[in-house]
Amino acid sequence: MRNGWPPTLAVPDGGYLLGGETETENEKPSGLFRWVTSVDHKDIGIMYIVFATATALWGGTDAMMIRTELLTPGAGPWDPVTYNALFTTHGLTMLLFFVTPAFTGIGNYFLPLLLGADDMAYPRINAIAFWILPPAYLLVRAGLITEIIAKALAVIGFSITSLFALQPPGTGWTMYTPLTTQMVNPQIDLMLLGLHLSGIATLLAAINFIVTIFTERSDDVSWSTLDIFSWTMLTTSGLILFAFPLLGSALIMLLLDRNFGTTFFTVDGGGPLLWQHLFWFFGHPEVYILVLPAFGLVSLILPKFSGRKLFGFKFIVYSTLAIGVLSFGVWAHHMFTTGIDPRIRASFMAVSVAIAIPSAVKTFNWMTTMWEGHIRLTAPMLFCIGGIGTFIIGGVTGVFLAAIPIDLLYHDTYYVVGHFHFIVVGIITFAAFAASYYWYPLLTGRMYDQLLAKVHAWLSIVGTVIAFGLMLINGALGLPRRYATYPEQFASLQQMMTIGAFLIFAGVIIWLYNMIQSYRIGPVVMDADVWNLKSIDQFTREWQWFEERLEERRRKIRGE
Amino acid sequence: MEDYVGMAKMNRPSSAIAGGIAGTAILSLLMILLEVQTRSQVHIFDAIARFVGLPNNILIGFVLFVAAGVFAWPLLFIALEPYIPRGPDPAARGIVFAFVLWLAFVIAGRGSIGWPLIIVYAGLTLLAHLAYGFTLGAVYASLREENVADTA
Ligand code: HEM
Ligand SMILES: [Cu+2]
Repeated sequence: MRNGWPPTLAVPDGGYLLGGETETENEKPSGLFRWVTSVDHKDIGIMYIVFATATALWGGTDAMMIRTELLTPGAGPWDPVTYNALFTTHGLTMLLFFVTPAFTGIGNYFLPLLLGADDMAYPRINAIAFWILPPAYLLVRAGLITEIIAKALAVIGFSITSLFALQPPGTGWTMYTPLTTQMVNPQIDLMLLGLHLSGIATLLAAINFIVTIFTERSDDVSWSTLDIFSWTMLTTSGLILFAFPLLGSALIMLLLDRNFGTTFFTVDGGGPLLWQHLFWFFGHPEVYILVLPAFGLVSLILPKFSGRKLFGFKFIVYSTLAIGVLSFGVWAHHMFTTGIDPRIRASFMAVSVAIAIPSAVKTFNWMTTMWEGHIRLTAPMLFCIGGIGTFIIGGVTGVFLAAIPIDLLYHDTYYVVGHFHFIVVGIITFAAFAASYYWYPLLTGRMYDQLLAKVHAWLSIVGTVIAFGLMLINGALGLPRRYATYPEQFASLQQMMTIGAFLIFAGVIIWLYNMIQSYRIGPVVMDADVWNLKSIDQFTREWQWFEERLEERRRKIRGE
Repeated sequence: MEDYVGMAKMNRPSSAIAGGIAGTAILSLLMILLEVQTRSQVHIFDAIARFVGLPNNILIGFVLFVAAGVFAWPLLFIALEPYIPRGPDPAARGIVFAFVLWLAFVIAGRGSIGWPLIIVYAGLTLLAHLAYGFTLGAVYASLREENVADTA
């Protein structure tokens, strides 16, 4: 045998069913067929996570291309049309096809375990909700797919020009009218259909979460003992329930305007501002749909490596609910520059500033949790602490943007891009990474490479501060966003930003390698208490479940 | 994994070629994605044709490229395996092996690609090659005969 490789005990633990374990499914086929037919919440959770990883890599490639374009002040390597398509598909992919599915996947896998439920309330709907997503995403990206086919055929000597008709959409993720109604590219219609479909998928999953949390809790899990992650998933699902149907309707109206001559958003009809109202009434809650699960994960993981219970649990729950309610009352802060009545603007400013309070409650509770704690700087903890730090920058810059006079200056500059990336990368993506490391042993039965994980964490933190910190500065200097070209004097700042972005990307590749390689040959987990949680009395339900699974497996191997 | 031990085992060359098929499939897919995603700026098929020394014949260049990926590199890989660093895991060794291949590729295939596109070209072809090497090694490791003795 060579140096202990491959490991002698090649038995995956914990993550997989042996059959006969849920009420809904008794026998499981093996191989590919198992995945296609599975209605087990753990399988579906894994599929969501794999899908989200794939889309994140694709959307990440878009981001790297954006940053490459901006290395030089002139247009190139890509033309401005392609540039517009890049930030459009980047934004749509990251928000709707990466973050949303990633948290849905984590929720699918862990909520039933945390609630002591056998499965989700509607396992089949759960499977359907997942399987809607890949075709939805392909519709959004259809132009590239037909192009691949065309290219492949061209290599063999066939050229079919109609396959090149679908151009990547260049509408921006906000799809503002009248631009979006007027662009002729047929791909935009497919994109709208795909987005509509993805909204249906998200909605189905949210309903499932709500019903599961209400009806499937085991007897010893009451509302007062419900864990923090389930609370945030419940709130998020509530937001989805109200926000996504609205997006769906607005998308249909846009589709009708484009294809059937309706006048919902035309200048002499409903007007382009109507689109902005409808879009942002969905769009602002959407950003909290993305960030609340991340808050939940930080609140869940941070205490484990602080050696203390989460400080002010109740207040964290209340602040989550408060954010949920308030998030529907701030949408017009995205429209301060559109010339709406100043009195209306002022009231939106007030509510927007008010929403900072529950967010601040959370950060202070996190810091208090760490206070005088016994801190262990594992990779998940590094991501949590880094995430809190970057979230503070993202949050404070957000308060500035909520102030009308400042927003009038900074609107549509890189300041905005910097602000929201401190949140979408700085805490949302960081929390997802923290969870991926924290639960890795439970999901795979093996341990990841801790050194590589820490390198990843540091690359991400440093890269984020460089890339998006400089965006704040560039924006404050007046550089507008969404242009493929820019004045010469911004060149060196832009190049430094790109270096920061490449650092983040390098970290992601290390993460991917670590995940795959550790799954193959990482050290097998023998003791379920990987993080020494028993000693601080935080060996929570999902880990207890994992311990039982390991024990079961051992009995099997011993032949009992 | 029960089926791990029971899986059909092959001799070393055929498992390497199986690895080569899987690796080349992934490499080609990633290269096509790269070509399309970058809106044909990189001209990856031309780069491949230059790499195999046929700058003007994309089709034959591509055929040679596949042949090398499926047969030549995998067989070279198992011949060199004991000397490649980062063992004993063949997948980790495959990454080192593919890195060397990539060096040759990025130099021979570069053509007239200039700054700053060269970053995208180099970075994404690097990732594609590493994925090739990793897949080659991983598939090879899980199929070759010795594993029966190792795990049983
Ligand atoms: C290394 C990681 C990332 C980098 C370097 C990056 C870079 C950028 C840049 C430069 C823009 C502005 C494009 C422009 O306005 O011209 C942008 C837009 C955007 N990004 Fe990212 N991004 C990253 C990750 C993410 C993630 C993880 C998310 C969401 C979860 C995200 C969501 C968005 C959205 C929604 C937009 C707005 C798109 C638009 O302007 O229509 N980004 N990104
Ligand atoms: Cu908002």
